[in-house]
Amino acid sequence: MNRVWALAVITYKEGIRNRSIFGVLAFALFVLGLNITVAGFFMREVGKVTVDMNLSALTFSGLLLVFFVALQLMAKDIDKKTIQLVFSKPVSRGQYIAGKYVGILLFVFVSLLVLVVFSSATVSLLLNLYPNYFAGFSWPMFFLAVTFILVQMAVLSAILILFSTLTTSSFASLIFTICVYLVGVTIEDVVFYVVSGFRTEAISPVVQEVLNVVAYVVPNFSMWDFKLEAAHGLLIAPARIGLGLGYAAIYITILLILSCLFFQRREFH
Amino acid sequence: MGVLEITFENVFKTYNPGLFKKKVRAVEDLTLEVSQGEVYGLIGPNGAGKSTTIRVLLGLIRPNKGKILFRGEPLCQGQFREEIGYLPENPYLYDYLSLKEILEFCGRVSDCSGAMLQERIKVLTEKLELSQALRRPLRTFSKGMLQRAGICFALLHDPSIVILDEPMSGLDPLGRKLVFDIVLELKEQGKTVFFCSHILSDVERLCDRMGVLVKGRLVRTFEKKDFEESAERELHLLLPPVPENLMPDLGDLAVHLHSCPGGALLSISAARLTETAAILGRLGIQIRGTRTSQVSLEELFIETVEGVTS
Repeated sequence: MNRVWALAVITYKEGIRNRSIFGVLAFALFVLGLNITVAGFFMREVGKVTVDMNLSALTFSGLLLVFFVALQLMAKDIDKKTIQLVFSKPVSRGQYIAGKYVGILLFVFVSLLVLVVFSSATVSLLLNLYPNYFAGFSWPMFFLAVTFILVQMAVLSAILILFSTLTTSSFASLIFTICVYLVGVTIEDVVFYVVSGFRTEAISPVVQEVLNVVAYVVPNFSMWDFKLEAAHGLLIAPARIGLGLGYAAIYITILLILSCLFFQRREFH
Repeated sequence: MGVLEITFENVFKTYNPGLFKKKVRAVEDLTLEVSQGEVYGLIGPNGAGKSTTIRVLLGLIRPNKGKILFRGEPLCQGQFREEIGYLPENPYLYDYLSLKEILEFCGRVSDCSGAMLQERIKVLTEKLELSQALRRPLRTFSKGMLQRAGICFALLHDPSIVILDEPMSGLDPLGRKLVFDIVLELKEQGKTVFFCSHILSDVERLCDRMGVLVKGRLVRTFEKKDFEESAERELHLLLPPVPENLMPDLGDLAVHLHSCPGGALLSISAARLTETAAILGRLGIQIRGTRTSQVSLEELFIETVEGVTS
């Protein structure tokens, strides 16, 4: 455990000191500032637009952090052969995966929590400026949606780790992770379209079967997306929260176990 | 030979560079032994399989065939890694961490206690002249400083076996001397040192035994005493131009007599030095200087590699 934590700490420090995160911070602050500037244009929808914009800015910032900084934390070790130095110490490959994952999570969570402070300040400001248009808004719902953005990033980080153990190129890991994310956020809508009566074209049984397999293999990111509920102040059943957290925990565990198995087989030239 | 520390038994390693490409035999039937307290140098041309040998030993790659033993038992990576310190060629450490942070990480994963860890950090960074740079991010280090930082990383937990891949790479003459002294100190402490280098003069001076690896095969092994013995066999005396009439007298003494610019070079058996000096004194020929005939590792290396490749 000591070794896992030691690895997590250096991974976190290496990530949090990376200058790329200033770019992500600047982007998030720009969107939040834009939100304050344009909020007045939306009249009665100010509350919904504010919550939606803030949560979207947080999600997009989280994606940038995972895709560009967290990826480097894993890939650079392999590309630059730092991993050979780490493995010359009594660190097992499983401990390495666990340490890297915990470090990446710490880095993404701390970075996002800083952005959450700015985001909360923005929402709070607009809430005071336009109190009549935030009728359905509740802070617990807002923070619940933020928590599930962190859950999404935790799943995405595990996917990134898996692809980093499988591929020899960091670019390939990036592309595969982005693809899985894009499929994951849209799969629920696609499956719904296929099984519902809305479609006008016939879909072959083979495509339906493939879609079923993909729906089981790829994580369903809609499970952890509560932007709509937070924007409209809708209540969420505790069972759905539990299901979402359980689904994420199982998915992350499976991904990390697979990563360890693949990494055990990998050779470092 | 002392207790065997590391043994390679008929190790083979072939790389598969990709689809439709010919497989590369990196190491072929490698049998090699390194004893406790010995400094073993593995030398060879580029692509000979030196780094592959080290990577196989560290478990970073798996051999296709053969066995590696550690103290006579099949190699168990967990225990082995607790006892080794490794310096790769051109070590790359984390950009945004300081040397202190990376060394503390090394201590924690090697189960070094707090006070001992701080003491080791202090001693090693002073020895490698890095104490002023302890809190600087590693991305601001020069190539030589990174190499020395890598050596600190390898030696921090006081390992009993030290594996160095090109330890002198990127170092200036002062840095090379530092590393040279460290290897000598490790040798005095009875540690086993296994290293690869292209700087043959250092290998020759530091190593008890040397192995020449060519195209993945260990083609020749030298011992330090091989060089010392060669020095003992022949001695060359530098003489002024010798008059023709004295030539027959000298011919009786010499193994070889060559003319050289401004004089002659008389090669004699080292055992006959006193007798030769007396005869030369009697003939009125002054000895201007002496040379030993020690064969250098470089000469032997080139001869070996050319022999194998031709």
